[in-house]
Amino acid sequence: MWKFSKYAVVCSVILILPVLTYAQNCNLTISGVVKDVSTEAPISYANLFVKELQSGGVSDSLGFFQMQNICAGNYHVSISHIGFETQELFVNISADTTITVRLDYNSQLLHEAAITVQGGTVTTQETQFLNSESISQNSDKNLATLLESISGVRTIKNGSGIAKPMVHGLYGNRLAILNNGVAQSGQQWGVDHSPEIDPLVANRITVIQGVGTLEYQGSSLGSVILVEPNKIYQDPHLHAESRYFFESNGLGNGINFEMQQYTKAVGWRAIGTLKKSGDNRTSKYYLRNTGNQEANIALQFEKVWNKWWQSDLYFSSFNAEFGVLRGSHIGNLTDLEEAFERDVPFYTQDEFSYAISSPSQKVNHHLLKFHNKFSISEKQSLEITYAGQYNLRKELDVRRSGRSDKPALSLRQVSNFAEAKYQNYLPNNWKLKSGIQLNRVDNTNLPETGILPLIPDYIAYEYGVYAIASKGFEHTVIEFGGRYDYEIRNVAAISTTLPREIIRYQNEYNNLGFMAGIAHELSKNWQTTFNIGYAARNPELNELYSNGLHQGVGGIEEGDPTLSKETSIKNTLSLIGNMRGKLFVEGLVYYQKIDNYIFLTPQDEIRLTIRGAFPVFKYQQTNAQLYGFDLAANYQISERLNITGKYSFIKGYDVSNDLPLVYMPSNNLYSALSYQIPKVGMFYNLGFQVNGNYVFEQKNLHAFQDFVAPPASYFLLGLKVSAEKQLRKWRLNTFIRIENLLNETYRDYLNRQRYFADDMGFNLIVGINTSF
Amino acid sequence: MKKINPLLLLGMFSMLFAFACKKDEPEDPIIPNEEEVITTLILTLNPDGPGNPVVLTFEDLDGDGGIAPTISGGVLDTNTTYNGSLELLNELENPAQDITEEIEEEAVDHQFFFQPSDNILSVAYDDMDANGNPIGISTILTTTEAGIGTLTITLRHEPNKEAPGVSTGDITNAGGETDIEVTFNVEVQ
Repeated sequence: MWKFSKYAVVCSVILILPVLTYAQNCNLTISGVVKDVSTEAPISYANLFVKELQSGGVSDSLGFFQMQNICAGNYHVSISHIGFETQELFVNISADTTITVRLDYNSQLLHEAAITVQGGTVTTQETQFLNSESISQNSDKNLATLLESISGVRTIKNGSGIAKPMVHGLYGNRLAILNNGVAQSGQQWGVDHSPEIDPLVANRITVIQGVGTLEYQGSSLGSVILVEPNKIYQDPHLHAESRYFFESNGLGNGINFEMQQYTKAVGWRAIGTLKKSGDNRTSKYYLRNTGNQEANIALQFEKVWNKWWQSDLYFSSFNAEFGVLRGSHIGNLTDLEEAFERDVPFYTQDEFSYAISSPSQKVNHHLLKFHNKFSISEKQSLEITYAGQYNLRKELDVRRSGRSDKPALSLRQVSNFAEAKYQNYLPNNWKLKSGIQLNRVDNTNLPETGILPLIPDYIAYEYGVYAIASKGFEHTVIEFGGRYDYEIRNVAAISTTLPREIIRYQNEYNNLGFMAGIAHELSKNWQTTFNIGYAARNPELNELYSNGLHQGVGGIEEGDPTLSKETSIKNTLSLIGNMRGKLFVEGLVYYQKIDNYIFLTPQDEIRLTIRGAFPVFKYQQTNAQLYGFDLAANYQISERLNITGKYSFIKGYDVSNDLPLVYMPSNNLYSALSYQIPKVGMFYNLGFQVNGNYVFEQKNLHAFQDFVAPPASYFLLGLKVSAEKQLRKWRLNTFIRIENLLNETYRDYLNRQRYFADDMGFNLIVGINTSF
Repeated sequence: MKKINPLLLLGMFSMLFAFACKKDEPEDPIIPNEEEVITTLILTLNPDGPGNPVVLTFEDLDGDGGIAPTISGGVLDTNTTYNGSLELLNELENPAQDITEEIEEEAVDHQFFFQPSDNILSVAYDDMDANGNPIGISTILTTTEAGIGTLTITLRHEPNKEAPGVSTGDITNAGGETDIEVTFNVEVQ
């Protein structure tokens, strides 16, 4: 695959020495050095392969390589090393050529340790990312579970298919997810709504753990997740890549196919994914109706009109159906309590099935983005973006008299977004970024359900302006900025009392946000960043107006129209560095204070309905604190052996009521031992890994705060083997992963299915990726 | 010419924007036809012999939210056998929709359970679905000695009717989802 991260593009320097002769010359030499993009350290034993020649070489202990007796011509060279993202270069050789290749590290550690002061991306934000190599090697995962490998990121789930990411304890509409620069606009009302994004279309997924909100539209109290598609590789030839995976748990199959070409007229790329899996299995039984299927496509076009103007057009379509565990569909509190008592959920069957029936979710999400970049001068640029999103969500329940085919919830959201962004590099290493954003969201309940809607219809307008300035010094970067947001919502709700009538509300909000940060190189190998930000989040529609029975949780949820906005201050302090290039360490400490934190809290009231008695939950506000730290270390024991350890700690505290916050991730400890061999026989970049993940019991909770006590701590063992092979023009990349090797029986606090069933048992995943 | 302050321009623009947006209201939502809701449960008990019929009623006319339901229990005679018949209604519809028919149509997927407190009475099934399992729309209710207690009526959707005890009215192994669970105060005198 033609992986070109922005760093690789910026940093890969191809130096072609001119020569006067144009005759066919087969005595040419390609030589060069392979370096780590962030540390500039040489990379030894990197594999080089020239596709046209079907031969290659290996870099020496100082990272140098040389290939002799090469004829003049065009060549595709791939440079790979285990642990690094493979780089593909297209080079025209007409003379002896020296290349400096800079490889991007795969791991969460060792990233961007050096501050790039001159041009490029300068940030004081604590950021972590997954590159295309890590995404490819986890092609079976969804966006949220994929991000779990980043420290500080956990997932909040309902089963295994429906999952949303959680960063430092915040998720849903407290966490902005940007798909190709556009805030994902969908139905984010509960824990059972996962973001409608296919991670296989992305080349890089970045998590900004500081306060990255200023530049991006969308509600967030801190962290931001950026899903960025691949750049179209600047190669006139057609290239294709395919990925296939099989997983034993759920007998899942997935295929992903990608084609791209940069012709003289236009650069284009098309990518499609098909996935299907059936009932998952715990260590002991099948989880009935937990299959899911997906069909996604993305199209991308790039056109450079002239030196000053370039455009790109992006279209993506996400279509999925998720089954929800049949035994988790309950009628009232008695059923729920009965479900807690059971070892094996109701409706459990002995046979495996691919069938998806009610309860289930059907989701469609389409995004169209048109982006234009105008380079006003060498130092100034203006970007104009339009993005339209169409989201359709249908939730099906088990209903009476053949109504199970009729959705119980049917929502359509259409959003239209426009943005103008201006960037200017000023003298003395100052950089200015500013922008203006407009967004209109129209959310409508489709009247096919025969049920009073939980979320009212509304039209919202969001308007935002921001400016961020940064300045680079020799060893320091400073950054500060501000943002103003205005939002108005016109809401039309249906009354819960008789006669049913339309009640209209109007919400209006004015918010300010600020951010300041500093990144400083303490020494050649150590860097520290500090970031502080203030942000606000408006109460969401469900928090204000939801009113009714939420059957899945066995409770009546009541919104409060008088809720005010949440305001938050988040601080992050990080230290990244290495000792003699052997021990890499990264530490991040954060503290976040959220005033008027909105949360669902049980009331003393028990409400009687014909279905029985239900506890009443109300959205209330309190002052909350979240604090914790993420630690990661990587030690290179020998050239081939390496050990990684990560630990995350978080605590959420309700200051006003002197209580712990609910739904906070439990602490976890992860460790992996990896052994790498550059070349064995016909395979190269062989990797073996044993990993273990220990998730602690969530003890920071009182018994009355949940229906059942949080599950016990658990330990999962995993294995991974990966290898690459070059077959003529094809590059093969295979992996075998085993998750929950010991077939452990466990439940996770952040999986809502824990009330009803155990979590996933043993799973073997085999993946084959090919490219030419 | 005097130069316009860009901030002022921006401020004016945002005011204009705010003004325009205030007017953009969603259309009136279509009020759904809540055909699935059960608002009313009526258990009519006709004595097998002399005496007056007793009617137990649970009524929640606006559905789950809003105003609380009204529940009226009843007084039964000692040592009497009653023929019980259940009626379910959706009174949000006009005229009221008979939900009992829907239950009868899907009898194999439904079963009523009757749980008296303190053994003040006993309930036996008097109907059968296509598989020969009880439904509970028609029942025979028997009283013996005097007493005060409650009767809880539960309707389960998709229960396991073959599970042990379920066909004799024991809810323990039934499973399924509760569509109805109402409790009446009952006095036997």
